[in-house]
Amino acid sequence: MKIEELKDIGFEMVTGGEGEINHGYACDLLSEVMGRAKPDTVWLTVQSHVNIIAVAAITGIRAIILCNDHLFDEETVQRAKKEKIALFKTSLNTFEACGKIYQKGIR
Amino acid sequence: MDIDDLIKKIQPYFSELKAEDFMSSPVVTIREDQKASEAKELLRTRRISGLPVADKEGKLKGIISIEDIIHALENNMLDSDISELMTKNVVCITKNEKIMDVFKKFEMYGYGRFPVVDENKKVIGIVTKYDLMIALLVKLSILYVHDTRREQFVGVEIYRSIPKNVKIVREEFEFQIDYRDISMAGTGASELKKFLISKNFPPKFVKRIAIATYEAETNVVIHSNSTGRIKAYIEPEFVEVRVNDNGKGIENIELAMKEGFSTAPDYVREYGFGAGMGLTNMKKCADRMIILSSKGNGVLVEMHFWRHEDEN
Repeated sequence: MKIEELKDIGFEMVTGGEGEINHGYACDLLSEVMGRAKPDTVWLTVQSHVNIIAVAAITGIRAIILCNDHLFDEETVQRAKKEKIALFKTSLNTFEACGKIYQKGIR
Repeated sequence: MDIDDLIKKIQPYFSELKAEDFMSSPVVTIREDQKASEAKELLRTRRISGLPVADKEGKLKGIISIEDIIHALENNMLDSDISELMTKNVVCITKNEKIMDVFKKFEMYGYGRFPVVDENKKVIGIVTKYDLMIALLVKLSILYVHDTRREQFVGVEIYRSIPKNVKIVREEFEFQIDYRDISMAGTGASELKKFLISKNFPPKFVKRIAIATYEAETNVVIHSNSTGRIKAYIEPEFVEVRVNDNGKGIENIELAMKEGFSTAPDYVREYGFGAGMGLTNMKKCADRMIILSSKGNGVLVEMHFWRHEDEN
């Protein structure tokens, strides 16, 4: 699916990105994400600090959804723009947010 | 304290190590009915200085070294069978021989390598002084070696042989790790990723390198409390990454290698670090990884990446 389509299913876009999303992954441990997430993934987490952008850039994650109403650090947003990684936020918890994306056929 | 005292003192730690625990295996061998010229090629392409010679059943018959090949060249004997040129009375090691006895053989005979055989005299490995040294360092938990290349590629002509008179230019990447700012962790790995992409390495291969480098870099930031450096050297099919720091070092590498083991402080765990997965990830990504460290002496991680066939 296109990154923008995440808006259509209720996620609030903080900054846009590039590319398509083919997979999803949910985890808050960075090394787990590094080791297991596939390229072109949307990543659901409650981590908001700037390191998540490095993790995303290295792993090939295209979009990050921050759950439970957490807020991104300003530095995180700046770095995401630079690396062209899309950021979204939501008041849903990680499980609920995953469900929405799963229904769209993302695995 | 002289060397003998030192050996006596540390002996209890490794006296139970047997040859089969530290030999290089599988081993490249050659058959006695092959030609000297074939031995020459094997020695050249593998860049080794001696080969065990076996019969059709794999039983040890002799050893052929570079010296034997030089002898063959001088006497125009490259078309001769290896059995005519090899050293026949080979001193070998049995797989159950204890490390101290192996030591003694090195001392007694002054050879650089000994083939290892099983009950049926079949060649199952080889031991060099390098293997001995590695075994001791590993046993003392100051060194860790992970090498998939040996398992996957021995017997295949994958070892790169450098063509004569062509000097390979090794390109370099260097990055200083800022350990004072945890939010900077991963910057070096991201930079390296960009560098490698700019050199036209395929994305799958680059991802493997970037993940391993990220973990090593993060370890420096979280654990070392010191400055560190990432260095990378590239060749067309190969990348070497070295990450080192000057920090407090790893007390017990064997323990640190266990998945889920972590000494990370709570505040970094809140950020999602310190899952005890870092070294596991590095091991998974690198074809060869060597970690050298001891308490108070920093950490050196060296990782080798060969481009795999499905990474083009």
